[in-house]
Amino acid sequence: MKNPSRLAAEFMANGRADSCPVIDMHGHLGPFQGIYFPNPSPEDMLRTMDRAGVRFLVMSSHASLVDTQRGNRLTAEVVAQWPNRFRGYWTINPNYPGRMAEELEAFARSQGFVGFKFHPDHHRYPLTGPRYELALRYAEEHELLVLSHTWGESRFNAPGMLATLAERYPHVTFLMGHSGYGEFDKAIQAAREHANLYLELTAAYRVNGVIEWMVREAGSSKVVFGTDLPWFDPHYGIGCILFAKITDEERRDILHRNAERLLKL
Amino acid sequence: MRNRRSPLFMEFFDCNASYGALEVPPPSFAENPHKLLEEMDFCGVQEALVHHAAQRDDSPLVGNSLLSEEIQGLDRLHGTWAILPPRTGEQGGVGAFLEGMKQNRVQALWAYPAEHRFLMTRTALGPLYDVMVEKRIPLFFSVTESCGGVSGWLLVEQVLAATPELTLVVTDHGSWGDDRFFRPLLEAYGNLHIDTSRYELDGGLAALCHKYGPERLLFGTGYPQMNMGGPVLTLTSADISDRDRGAIAGGNLRRMLGSVRL
Repeated sequence: MKNPSRLAAEFMANGRADSCPVIDMHGHLGPFQGIYFPNPSPEDMLRTMDRAGVRFLVMSSHASLVDTQRGNRLTAEVVAQWPNRFRGYWTINPNYPGRMAEELEAFARSQGFVGFKFHPDHHRYPLTGPRYELALRYAEEHELLVLSHTWGESRFNAPGMLATLAERYPHVTFLMGHSGYGEFDKAIQAAREHANLYLELTAAYRVNGVIEWMVREAGSSKVVFGTDLPWFDPHYGIGCILFAKITDEERRDILHRNAERLLKL
Repeated sequence: MRNRRSPLFMEFFDCNASYGALEVPPPSFAENPHKLLEEMDFCGVQEALVHHAAQRDDSPLVGNSLLSEEIQGLDRLHGTWAILPPRTGEQGGVGAFLEGMKQNRVQALWAYPAEHRFLMTRTALGPLYDVMVEKRIPLFFSVTESCGGVSGWLLVEQVLAATPELTLVVTDHGSWGDDRFFRPLLEAYGNLHIDTSRYELDGGLAALCHKYGPERLLFGTGYPQMNMGGPVLTLTSADISDRDRGAIAGGNLRRMLGSVRL
């Protein structure tokens, strides 16, 4: 292996690097509709995190994408049980506008949550639509994180739509889930132009050369690591970062430093 | 407990790597085989079974020759050719095609039925399939392929149902975790193999190995569309024995190619 990275050597030898405690900013929990998971429980996920040296996972349960009342409660239970390993995103479903005020009150009472999770493609409702406004105004007032699913050319959550929100809500920190997969040029441009918008790497890491492109044009300080766990083995994403043509300092930014800053750890 | 140093010395033999200019290139790719070897060195991959982008994007008639010329003398790269239905005679008869494979030391074939517009039925490919079975030549194709309105794992099942003795390697199964599709096929068809280039599922490799053994899995990277490092670290760190890891990393592919009789 001619990769001179000391981090790569450490991960290749041990499967983890104690000097690089990874923070995963995009996770889930539990079974889900279209996929077989070998490791869906929080205990399973903790074993995976330990094997890959993942210190923290910020997640929203799969159940919360379907039923926010049941699912956010599940997320809260897991966060409460393992407060040193999990943080939560409170999922917002714009198809239940009547529940929104109640959801925000429940969020305000909760512990261990860092902000909101939006999944406009699943909920078939556009990111820039009015039913998200109450949650966004709340996030703006409280300077929260918002992780939104994004995908290239989607009519619900294309990267340009998140850029519009970043402009409109300057005190919200937006994480662009999957970095607008398929429209990386627009995603990278949006991250470069908006201080409050970050590229999140779940699945996007696999596209050869895209990590180098992000670091070159948006900077390593604007990229955070994620895996969709229990979907993807963290080693897959970490491996893509370790073997991208960037420096170890840039790798550390992506794998933990930026997340530490955002989570105020 | 596994030997902590062993992955560094594991012999990776990539079953699914490519080079050459593509119609729609990823942000980074290898323009020639020397660049591919540089990337393999960077990631610690010793050997690769390679195809040329021109075999799909241009034509097998162009790409097969280009590949064989360009990798001549590069012992770490093992060439594959792309197939067309024998009836059009574009690649000569089956006998001439096989003779060309022998002369160029080509031991595996790829099919791109969507791009090259042919069916993968026995009516279209039967004579070629029969020779491939006889000579134990493996056929690779991506699960993203389609032909005649049939696609994905259903296409895999149709090919294997018609010719179960064919050694088939299915690549590129996607991030949605295809186990519900391919596990029944692995049980029904003993000659089905899958590459690991897109097997990103957390715990997927270990679960599959524990249930079926490692023999049906071949290490692949999907380069240049995919970053080589992901599959490398995933296999290196998988919760499986070093024996199984070595089989997936290269042992299974070496055995498969070693059984080819041209």
